[in-house]
Amino acid sequence: MELKGITREWDSLKKDAAARAASAAPYVKEGKIVDAKDAVALLEAVIKPGDKVNIEGNNQKQADFLAKTLCQVDPGKVHDLHMVQSVLTLPEHLDVFEKGIAKKLDMSFSGPQAGRIAEFLKEGKLELGAIHTYLELYGRYFVDLTPRVALIAATKADRHGNLFTGFSTEDTPAIVEATKFRQGIVIAQVNEIVDELPRVDIPGDWVDYVIQSPKPFYIEPLFTRDPALITDAQVLKGMMAIKGIYGEYGIKSLNHGIGFDTAAIELLLPTYGEELGLKGKICTNFILNPHPSMIPAIESGWVESIHCFGGELGMDEYVAARSDIFFVGPDGSMRSNRAFSQTAGHYAIDMFIGGTLQIDPYGNSSTATANRVAGFGGAPNMGCDPKGRRHSSEAWLKCGEEYGVKEAMWGPVHRGKRLVVQLAETFREKLAPGFVEELDAFALAKNANLPIEPVMIYGDDLTHIITEEGIAYLHKCRNMEERTAAIRGIAGFTEVGMKADPKETLRLRDLGVIKTADDLGIDMSRANRSMLAAKNVHDLVVWSKGLYNPPAKFRNW
Amino acid sequence: MALQVLEFEFKSAATQEIAKEWSHLGVTGSGDLEVLMEKKALNGGVKAKVVTPVKGFDAVWEKMLGKFVTDTGVGNVSIEINDDNATPIVVYMRLRQALAEATAKEAE
Amino acid sequence: MKNWTELENSSFFDANARERALGMVDKGTFTEFLNPLDRYCSPHLPVLGTAVEFDDGTVCGVGLLGKHPVFVVSMEGKFIGGAIGEVNGGKMVATIRLALKAAADIKAKYPEEYAARRPLVAVSFETGGVRLHEANAGLLAHAEVMDAFQDCRGIVPVVAVVGSKVGCFGGMGFVAAATDVIVMNEEGRIGLTGPEVIEQEMGKDEFDASNKALVYRTTGAKHKYIIQDCNYLVEDKIGEFHKTLAEVAEIPMAEIEKMRRIGSLKLVQEQQELVKLVGDMQPKDSMDLWKYFGNEDPAALPEMTTAEFLKVVKRRVRS
Repeated sequence: MELKGITREWDSLKKDAAARAASAAPYVKEGKIVDAKDAVALLEAVIKPGDKVNIEGNNQKQADFLAKTLCQVDPGKVHDLHMVQSVLTLPEHLDVFEKGIAKKLDMSFSGPQAGRIAEFLKEGKLELGAIHTYLELYGRYFVDLTPRVALIAATKADRHGNLFTGFSTEDTPAIVEATKFRQGIVIAQVNEIVDELPRVDIPGDWVDYVIQSPKPFYIEPLFTRDPALITDAQVLKGMMAIKGIYGEYGIKSLNHGIGFDTAAIELLLPTYGEELGLKGKICTNFILNPHPSMIPAIESGWVESIHCFGGELGMDEYVAARSDIFFVGPDGSMRSNRAFSQTAGHYAIDMFIGGTLQIDPYGNSSTATANRVAGFGGAPNMGCDPKGRRHSSEAWLKCGEEYGVKEAMWGPVHRGKRLVVQLAETFREKLAPGFVEELDAFALAKNANLPIEPVMIYGDDLTHIITEEGIAYLHKCRNMEERTAAIRGIAGFTEVGMKADPKETLRLRDLGVIKTADDLGIDMSRANRSMLAAKNVHDLVVWSKGLYNPPAKFRNW
Repeated sequence: MALQVLEFEFKSAATQEIAKEWSHLGVTGSGDLEVLMEKKALNGGVKAKVVTPVKGFDAVWEKMLGKFVTDTGVGNVSIEINDDNATPIVVYMRLRQALAEATAKEAE
Repeated sequence: MKNWTELENSSFFDANARERALGMVDKGTFTEFLNPLDRYCSPHLPVLGTAVEFDDGTVCGVGLLGKHPVFVVSMEGKFIGGAIGEVNGGKMVATIRLALKAAADIKAKYPEEYAARRPLVAVSFETGGVRLHEANAGLLAHAEVMDAFQDCRGIVPVVAVVGSKVGCFGGMGFVAAATDVIVMNEEGRIGLTGPEVIEQEMGKDEFDASNKALVYRTTGAKHKYIIQDCNYLVEDKIGEFHKTLAEVAEIPMAEIEKMRRIGSLKLVQEQQELVKLVGDMQPKDSMDLWKYFGNEDPAALPEMTTAEFLKVVKRRVRS
């Protein structure tokens, strides 16, 4: 057989990039700097129809000026773009579809724009590739979704294009690395252009253009929970979690999802956790954003390390002053990094715990509602049993030891299991049920024509559910029938709970598959807000010795 | 539009009476409720009256109050509740707190 | 229920109306008028499908501070935002009138000892003003309360106590201003139009209601203390309010009268001077006024504890 190579150009991407750079040349001032007023012209020069374009939309930091700019390009010149970006937060992220500038979307999470995405899908204004997890999307940046042009955001730049992303680094390294090393074009909006950067987070030769944004980038205090709004029911669930799971398994490394349930747990560590003598035995290593509600636990010596996906408004100074705990650069400020934090969250922690909106009788859990295409960000990566894990820990081994089908599934091999815990109230505000026979995800899949139901955590990965009725240790169940009975047993007065067979529930309590607050020895009349180590934002400031500087909307003084 | 008034009666197995003649706990805030407990000769049973703007949860109220009576064995007591969209856990916790209050000795 | 020590040490801001009423007077002396067992609910709310409360959202009663009977009105912000309707408005008016009747009885029985046994009215405001569900009755109650306050002038001191979540807004903002003495904790707020309504009517550029720090700088106790609307600024503990009220109960009526901010031609003129000052200087923020009154570093004031603040603050000098 004759082997024959093909004849083609092997550097067409590079040549194309050079041609685009040539047409953008008139707008470049000193070094790599482009004036904000020339931003639209710059984008029209470097973006071609059909390009894959990334607007840096993080969980927090937003390239908002560049998003606005992209909305102003002439759809005659720039159209049919394929947007690849992790988070859609700003209205402009969808305006580009309305204006005919973009056509296709691959994303991870959409928060406030979720309703509009569903609408656009129905009206055919938008073609959806897939809703990924963060790691999955970053992975695809390096396979088949590499941006041709990336519009990113940084805190500071110098004239050579070196960037300082600091506390709010988040997705930037993953996006820039994928784009630049496949000959793509990187444009950065920055809050400030300076002579000397505190440190270089992105080297200047990976960046093509720098624009000083008329306003600093938009950032949301997404992870701040005012302790004043934590309810007695959340305190009860928190006490159950600490005694029935954290203490029971000796959970040392973990991630806390966003929400009041986990904020309650964080604020119970220095009080209830201390009382149970668990300091040093649990909660030593975290993967999470700098939650202000972590301050009392950190200050009372519970925590050894925290790596962060992103920053949190007002926490910079506190974090910088606690460099034994957080990942702080030689310049003295923290560097967040979502890709690494998510990797750690997937492989290196013993437990993921977070809130959800709905759980079905199979244990599938989802925050999807019928008319919002929102995605789940990083939760599915952390809320699953990572099959590639090969290191062991006490908590992981114990959970594996208790696995009800381990003989059938694993044979004689010793394995462990990640704890994946969902906190749910049987009824939420306005009496919306937390347990349903069919997840809204099914209706959403139908409404938005999705090939799979958007399930946040699959039932077979879920090990524990905590409700005010009790904890279900689902991984101990030997089959689906038992698992469903365990879920019904803690689902209270929801339609799912009403079908519980009291005899079966009692049997599962005897087996330790269900434990109520009484079974755990928790006195319900103690479950109230006075258990919290901080009762309001001001208390957090006091705990931080004045280092936490809460955003204006949280300052009740 | 009008408020719902639900009335229930329960038989109690243990008939634990409350210490005080009457006792009150809580505030009818959004998502919360107030509970008034009064000692009454009810042949060991429990009478309950619930005033709530929420419709369609009669069966849940009955089960919830029934569970409270079974769990605590309280009897010879009349319970009146003014509710404003409290979830079952909040109702149950307030009932337990109200009972603790009604059984407690006078505060020092 | 908290025991007495716990109650006195607990946060006034977090306390409900009944806890505040109990803790503002001497231990074990509080008797409630129309308590929950009387089930005196609003007759208007049920027909509108709105939840009711046995005390209609206001706890009224009488207790003692030493020898002084204290007539207490304590509003519950968690129940319909503490709004004033027919029943709770009526209870408030009757409680104040009862204080006047007690004053007359004491004067008749102990003519020599009136100063030592003089009653006091203490109103713990937590309200946005009129309850819209029963607005006419609510408005009427506002007018009757103002009237009753006037009747108390020179006889029974009327003290406004403001330090709860909802603050004191709407028509009740006027009512609080018409008292003799105002006691607040740092968390207390007094105003007329609520922040959200100002934003809605005037736009976010005029007043950003989500900027809580701005809201507190404009309506909060530290500001009210600097401009002399607030007479006493105390730590957020029920016991601190108790202590301050006991102090006020002993102050001679002539001195009480001097603590007022409206209610005489001279006081109106003083208020007009303040209006003129604001017109002339066009402050962009309350901090401009704080600076004007002698506070070199106004931005530092909100961050201070109450004790630190009281040590360094410079207040408007009253004419």
